[in-house]
Amino acid sequence: MVNDQSQFNRRRFLGTMAASAGAVAADMTVLNVLKDPLFAAELKRQQKSVILLWLAGGASQFETWDPKPGRETGGPFGKISTNQTGIEISELMPKMAQQMEQTALIRSLNTKIADHGGGFNLMGTGRRPEAGIEFPDLGAIIARELGRKDSKVPDYVSIYSSTEGRRNGTSGFLGGRYAPMFLTQDVIPPNLSRLEQVSDFDHVERAELRQLLTDRFQSKRQSLVVSSQTSAYQRVRGLMSSERLFDVEEESSSMRAFYGQTQFQQQCLIARRLVEAGTPFVKVARAWWDSHGQNFETHRELCADLDQGMSALLADLEQRGLLENTLVITLGEFGRTPRINPSLGRDHFASAWSCSLSGCGIKGGTVYGKTDPDGNTVAEGEVGAGHLFATIFSALGIDWQKEYHHGSRPIPITDFGCEPVKEVLA
Amino acid sequence: MAIIDPNTLNKKQEYGTSGVNFCMARPAESSNLFVGNSDFKVHQFDAAAEKPELKPIAEEGHSSYVTGAAISRSVLVTGSYDKQLIWWNTDDHSIVRKVPAHELWIRNLISSPTGDYVISVADDMQAHLWSIADGKKIRTLAGHDTQTPHGYPSMLYAVAISADGQFIATGDKVGRVIVWEAATGKQIEQLETPVMYTWDPKARRHSIGGIRSLAFSTDGKMLAVGGIGKIGNIDHLGGPHRIEVFDWQNKERKFEIENDTYKGLVEQLHFSPDGTWLAAAGGDHGGFVSFYGMEDGKELKTEKAPMHIHGMEFSEDYRTLYTVGHGKIAIWELQGELEPLVAPRAS
Repeated sequence: MVNDQSQFNRRRFLGTMAASAGAVAADMTVLNVLKDPLFAAELKRQQKSVILLWLAGGASQFETWDPKPGRETGGPFGKISTNQTGIEISELMPKMAQQMEQTALIRSLNTKIADHGGGFNLMGTGRRPEAGIEFPDLGAIIARELGRKDSKVPDYVSIYSSTEGRRNGTSGFLGGRYAPMFLTQDVIPPNLSRLEQVSDFDHVERAELRQLLTDRFQSKRQSLVVSSQTSAYQRVRGLMSSERLFDVEEESSSMRAFYGQTQFQQQCLIARRLVEAGTPFVKVARAWWDSHGQNFETHRELCADLDQGMSALLADLEQRGLLENTLVITLGEFGRTPRINPSLGRDHFASAWSCSLSGCGIKGGTVYGKTDPDGNTVAEGEVGAGHLFATIFSALGIDWQKEYHHGSRPIPITDFGCEPVKEVLA
Repeated sequence: MAIIDPNTLNKKQEYGTSGVNFCMARPAESSNLFVGNSDFKVHQFDAAAEKPELKPIAEEGHSSYVTGAAISRSVLVTGSYDKQLIWWNTDDHSIVRKVPAHELWIRNLISSPTGDYVISVADDMQAHLWSIADGKKIRTLAGHDTQTPHGYPSMLYAVAISADGQFIATGDKVGRVIVWEAATGKQIEQLETPVMYTWDPKARRHSIGGIRSLAFSTDGKMLAVGGIGKIGNIDHLGGPHRIEVFDWQNKERKFEIENDTYKGLVEQLHFSPDGTWLAAAGGDHGGFVSFYGMEDGKELKTEKAPMHIHGMEFSEDYRTLYTVGHGKIAIWELQGELEPLVAPRAS
């Protein structure tokens, strides 16, 4: 393991934050929290983060978390033991096999929707679409629940470099405040840099002048519009100062090598930098797992990418003391068919597939649910998208029964009738 | 000279089987095939039987897909994704020995023309020569890159040996062919067929393709390389089947053949004994058998196959063509005469 001290030392940051609750109280949301006797627990909740490794296109459960070697549906790859007794995963994931103590597998997802668009919506929002209302996705909800109003870093970053299957996240009825910073062309966000023709001195001076005029204006008027505008300016300045978080060149060469050199692996490193600096939700999309032809060759490539990037991310987070507060998820639109087609591919399949949950709030070294011997159906412990979302909320200390309001209509953040999978929760 | 006419190709019979038949080995003058299957077993399939069917020669054996088979007299050698080679006695089907042969999946296996040794290729990017008699490793051919230019694991799919046993050719995922001197293991030549490898840097960010078949002409001068052309949507095998034919000693590419009507991978290649035509077989969701003239590289005949073909072998008189593949075995017939020449085995 590489020992690389970051200048963004989260533990030090959190210590400072706890000691200066008065400063934090400038945020009205936190003021309300301060009245609550469970302030400490709430503050802890607000330090949590999620990194979603989105396996776009749909990874095969057989070649990752639920191998079935020896069965007609199982494909050519074997299973390997992990460092957790009784848990075996695909031989394509040897590095993760040595780090299962922080990871729970759910092998019994039955989400029924097996087209890319429908699967993306379902697994993105935790529920089926409804006419007349746009639900926020997981990132937006986490940004809303775990983001800090005074944060100088973005609350929701979505990295999706490949073009296939690229769909932006949505903050739905929560509004633009929780929309993702969506990075597609470059991992360093565009338009964050100060214009070259404006000096840093001028930049600061302009901000101070704007603040002076705003304060004078606001002192004689109460206006939500002005408050909102001021907040937006402060946020932009915060984002501008976060540009270097996206630059992996600021990491040592040994740390970059530890994560690996592929684009996805470097993006995993950026994700760690972001959560370390306080970003509550980072999605790193790795496209494209849609292996209708040559499934085994595709997974040989992509699993090597995932295994290296994910195992490095978990190890790095753990070494920095961040894993207990960071939930790392692997998920996609759906899994892949047990049947192997004549192109040696697997097609879309949502009836019995897998995901992983690691770190924050998760009982590591566990497997929940079971598929039948050929992987055609869920044999035990069926889990739907809503159940998975409730589990994620619970792991992060978010009240999964909480309701938002869209106009006068209450909208539970967890879909109706769904509850957390307690067996995977710490 | 060769008057076997590709235009007379006719599918005589097809038989449904379970699983995927990845390879076959046929004893001399026999139609009783040994077939490697995705059920991890080696089967026999007697095409001359009244009701031909796959019958496992043993319940034990490999622990993954059986992807290579070669036969020499009464010894059958099979290779698998389980990284092992198994020596079988063809008379009683007993296992003679198991050899942990490679670090990664064995992709193919062929016999030398004399039957003295077999050659295995695997994703550890090495070819090994193994004595048929005692299973000892004779030589290792190492020179293919283990990673693609984009930092992902490469694969070594194909191997062929010249009819005189002098040269061995191996072909990898990124389209590199290396020709080796069999007696010394020395690299003789390197050929590039980059079109066989499709890397999608933007939409899907992974790769597909690779060299899947190789064959020397009987005189050893020509080397045919099979795979797939460039693919737009790499979710599928949606590219033309592709063959490049080289006068390899002069490093001259003689023909680039692409067939967009029958898409997919060229899994098998075989020159006619007199070198006038080249047979190719493979597929995507479906399959094909094609013949190309070696005067000009033009298509002589293509027939749709009932399945994606993984293994192909001609009878000694070239009047029967055996093909095995996805869920089926098909027997084809050709008309004509052929002088009795020893044909090279191709991967």
